[in-house]
Amino acid sequence: MRTEVEALFDLTGRVAVITGGSGLLGYKHAEVIAAAGGTPVLVDLPATEPEAHARQLVEQYGVNALGCSVDITKLDEVTALLATILEQFATVDILINNAANNPKVESASNPAWSRLENFPLEAWEADLAVGLTGAFLCSKVIGAEMAHRNKGVILNIASDLAVIAPDQRLYMRDGLPRDQQPAKPVTYSVVKTGLLGLTRYLATYWADRGVRVNAISPGGVYDGQPDDFVSRLSALIPLARMARVDEYQGAVLFMCSDASSYMTGANVVLDGGRSCW
Amino acid sequence: MNLQASSMFSLEGRTAVLTGATGFFGRTFARTLLSNGARLIALGRSERLENLSTGWSRDFGVDRVRSCRVDMYDLPAFSAVLDEIAAEEEVDVLVNNAYELGSATGFNTSDGALETATLDQWTRHFTSGIYWPALTVQKLGPGMKARGHGSIVNISTMYAVVAPDPRLYEGTRFLNPPGYSAAKAGTLAFTRYVASFWGSHGVRANAILPGPFSNTEEVSGNSVDSSDPFLGRLASRTSLGRPGQPQELAGALLFLASDASSYITGHALVVDGGWTAI
Repeated sequence: MRTEVEALFDLTGRVAVITGGSGLLGYKHAEVIAAAGGTPVLVDLPATEPEAHARQLVEQYGVNALGCSVDITKLDEVTALLATILEQFATVDILINNAANNPKVESASNPAWSRLENFPLEAWEADLAVGLTGAFLCSKVIGAEMAHRNKGVILNIASDLAVIAPDQRLYMRDGLPRDQQPAKPVTYSVVKTGLLGLTRYLATYWADRGVRVNAISPGGVYDGQPDDFVSRLSALIPLARMARVDEYQGAVLFMCSDASSYMTGANVVLDGGRSCW
Repeated sequence: MNLQASSMFSLEGRTAVLTGATGFFGRTFARTLLSNGARLIALGRSERLENLSTGWSRDFGVDRVRSCRVDMYDLPAFSAVLDEIAAEEEVDVLVNNAYELGSATGFNTSDGALETATLDQWTRHFTSGIYWPALTVQKLGPGMKARGHGSIVNISTMYAVVAPDPRLYEGTRFLNPPGYSAAKAGTLAFTRYVASFWGSHGVRANAILPGPFSNTEEVSGNSVDSSDPFLGRLASRTSLGRPGQPQELAGALLFLASDASSYITGHALVVDGGWTAI
């Protein structure tokens, strides 16, 4: 019986595109792809140096890896990205739509900008462009290529805030009047919830083409946030803590490998239990 | 694949209790747990348990297998078995898989229908879907709590979140009774309760919701012949256009049982070929 870990979770020979691949979590997704024998393609904006991050993966894991400076909100750049990947590796097997703007409102110096009443239209458009338009264009171009090959996996990185609303009390600071209090941006909830819709849409759309499409909804990762924020957030979570940065790698590998061969259209919630009570 | 990636899902050095170990899913789960390093404590009521244990011991070593034949409806006997396990073992993983799927719970018999289901059938549903997991958790969970870690995996069904479509069953000999949906939804509520109350003690509780995984391996009250057109009906209701194979639950089980899911609790993991996505 084919139940051994190595066989179920092995990604040897599979090429995985990770958008936002230079970011805190995107790079962790790439690491586990590499650790499972796959070929990560890190896609991110030039300033984040995806090429350098890819070289780091090659050194660390001894696998092929590619870094590509791409603006995923531009169709021609995504089309060129696919051409580069096919030229270099002749296949594309996995797409992880991970890129999203996520400004740290819990430590911003000018907190009130993110309140709904103040939220700039430009920020709304920029956030939707990266989080939703980017996922749409990558799915349209790279997903379509996988459908053409009758095999592939798309994993959309949503959020616990795709399942529940932000608790704005988490972001409040002592001594500030109500209209000066920071807030989690509205775009974050909208983008992440939209990704769940995209997940179900693509899952049924390409079900007969061998392309599985699922989402994961991770909770907050500890990354040096202020202590009072961490303790307030932890109080909302049955496991009573934020996630460690490497704690989503298991889910990413599970969803991207044949270990989840009978899953499509699903959303795996990884939130320490925050939405279960 | 390097050691880091495979060790993430490994159950090396862990002790896993599995109920319903001789059943259609149970046999696959037993081998999945064993072949990925766990020591297995297998509970089952069928006489097949002895043969299966012999095979597991042969393939994985005598010290890796403990089997307890018990009729879980005999609550004093079942409790005694669990007390013994709690006293003698350090249980890391508990898989609540046992369920009575048969005519006694109204499967595939006309008197199991919504109009006619009996109190005895309903009681058996609630006993196997809710009280059996409740009792194993009550007996084996405190040890997990005291040691500060443990993973509980409850087997539910997609019919806990969507109802069976009666048209799928029309004109066949198959009937999926109302108590099954209700009790398995209860399993989910219980899963969340455990996750909520014991999360801060390091004990996680999650559920797997399988879609159509028809038992074509044997002939029993709940099996389906592999040529039965009913399977085609089920397949066409999924997005992937096919029923699942039991080994396709192995990844989900390993994921939830191991540290690969260390930040997941209270979750209902749907493995249904896209049945509930549409």
